[in-house]
Amino acid sequence: MENSEPIIRIENVTKRFGHLKAVDNVSLTIKTGEKVVIIGPSGSGKSTLLRTINRLEEITSGRILVDGMDIMDRATDINRVRMEVGMVFQNFNLFPHKTALQNLTMAPVKLKKIPRQEAEKNALRLLKKVNIAEKADVYPTQLSGGQQQRVAIARALAMNPKIMLFDEPTSALDPEMIGEVLDVMKTLALEGMTMIVVTHEMGFAREVADRVIFMDHGAVVEEGTPEHFFKNPTHDRTKLFLSQIL
Amino acid sequence: MTQEKIIIDVGDGAAIPSKKDMGLFSAWRISFCGAIVLLIYLVISRPDPYLKIVKFLPDGIIVTFQVTFFSIGLALIIGLITGLGRISRNRIANAIASTYIEVIRGIPLLVQLFYIYYALGRFVRVPDMVAAVIAMSVCYGAYMGEVFRAGIESIDKGQTEAARSLGFNRTQTMFYVILPQAWRTILPPVGNEFIALLKDTSLVSILAVADLLRRGREFAAESFAYFETYTIIALIYLLITLLLSKLVSIMEDRLNYYGKF
Ligand SMILES: Nc1ncnc2c1ncn2[C@@H]1O[C@H](COP(=O)(O)OP(=O)(O)O)[C@@H](O)[C@H]1O
Ligand SMILES: [Mg+2]
Repeated sequence: MENSEPIIRIENVTKRFGHLKAVDNVSLTIKTGEKVVIIGPSGSGKSTLLRTINRLEEITSGRILVDGMDIMDRATDINRVRMEVGMVFQNFNLFPHKTALQNLTMAPVKLKKIPRQEAEKNALRLLKKVNIAEKADVYPTQLSGGQQQRVAIARALAMNPKIMLFDEPTSALDPEMIGEVLDVMKTLALEGMTMIVVTHEMGFAREVADRVIFMDHGAVVEEGTPEHFFKNPTHDRTKLFLSQIL
Repeated sequence: MTQEKIIIDVGDGAAIPSKKDMGLFSAWRISFCGAIVLLIYLVISRPDPYLKIVKFLPDGIIVTFQVTFFSIGLALIIGLITGLGRISRNRIANAIASTYIEVIRGIPLLVQLFYIYYALGRFVRVPDMVAAVIAMSVCYGAYMGEVFRAGIESIDKGQTEAARSLGFNRTQTMFYVILPQAWRTILPPVGNEFIALLKDTSLVSILAVADLLRRGREFAAESFAYFETYTIIALIYLLITLLLSKLVSIMEDRLNYYGKF
């Protein structure tokens, strides 16, 4: 892990909403295969930072390189970048007019021109992987929250991304469904996926993260290994936050 | 983002029958059966002039259908483009669409019909029917544009974000993800527009288009049977409108059935 290449470079990135600096001069480098967990209080800019990586939010200043591509460069086709970066949302955002299987095949068929049969085969394999193959032909509204989120993860994986971004993937779930989603994410981590995860699940962070990042007021306050973080955090704000959440 | 309340309401009295109005004694059934019974009764009991009138009108009914059909098609296209223009980030497209809607809303349909008809006539020679269809569509396209806009805006932003994050561009997102969902919100008010449009096609009788109403006027002028002629005309419009509203409500049911979400 230590000697692998950086796949994401975030350099002095600031994102303003009017006067508010949602992300304030953040620099981060993420290596291929690395699992980074971002924690921090609500409103600290975690989602905004995550969303700048696939340009769902356009940065105000700074530079972001994803797999060597400068995402703010006019010459970069942002849609190409996005095909390499899967994203999982708090509210799943499955396409309600499509079945679970169609949710997975739509992008590969339309964007990568993969033959439908092949795309469906791959989709079924992924649905199996997230333990929900039996619901392939069901519409999202007929699925539980946990099931929907697993389908959403599979949908992102169907594009065969190099990086996966998770924005509080379990925050909208009933407690009994959190485990099934985290299990899927752990499997993905074991397979070597590069992952950036915004979450309040400290157990997951401890178990899976190579690095934990604590954000507050748009800035990275502290970063380090999970051991460092949970045993002896340096900053008072980190200590305070951890004491509140643990 | 401003939280705008989404109201899709077209208060022109055209009505798609609602579920609770159905059943044996529904208003729709009473009107429809009543109109047919009355029509048959009149024709049988007094063939002169009623049968003559009825025989004189089919050409006009066909023209009314044609104007309605083509105007709906063209108005849908104009409406979609206008709706997309209204939500566009392109200032110019946005301004054009908004102004178009504003202007159309501010001018009575009849005046618009005259204006477009004679304006067109000044520059190009087109058949009366084509001019009428263009005039109707330009007018109704503006109303449909607002319906499309509201329908598109009713779809959760998360849908766009999910699609964009997968790599769909704006256009693909619109056509693969947003519009297929928005259609369910759009159809009921658009269906009402269809019905209103059908009724408003009677205005083209003032131009030289031989639609149902114009045929009736011709017959009445020759026979002096004004009351009898307009009785039949009214009954036929009522029947056609009722049939169209039924069709629209069937389409809605289908949509609800297939897209269970
Ligand atoms: N689209 C937006 N417009 C204006 N302010 C926003 C927008 N998105 C987020 N913010 C603000 O930016 C700050 C960071 O938000 P966010 O990144 O969502 O925080 P977190 O995910 O850590 O809870 C918050 O103060 C939030 O209100
Ligand atoms: Mg957030």
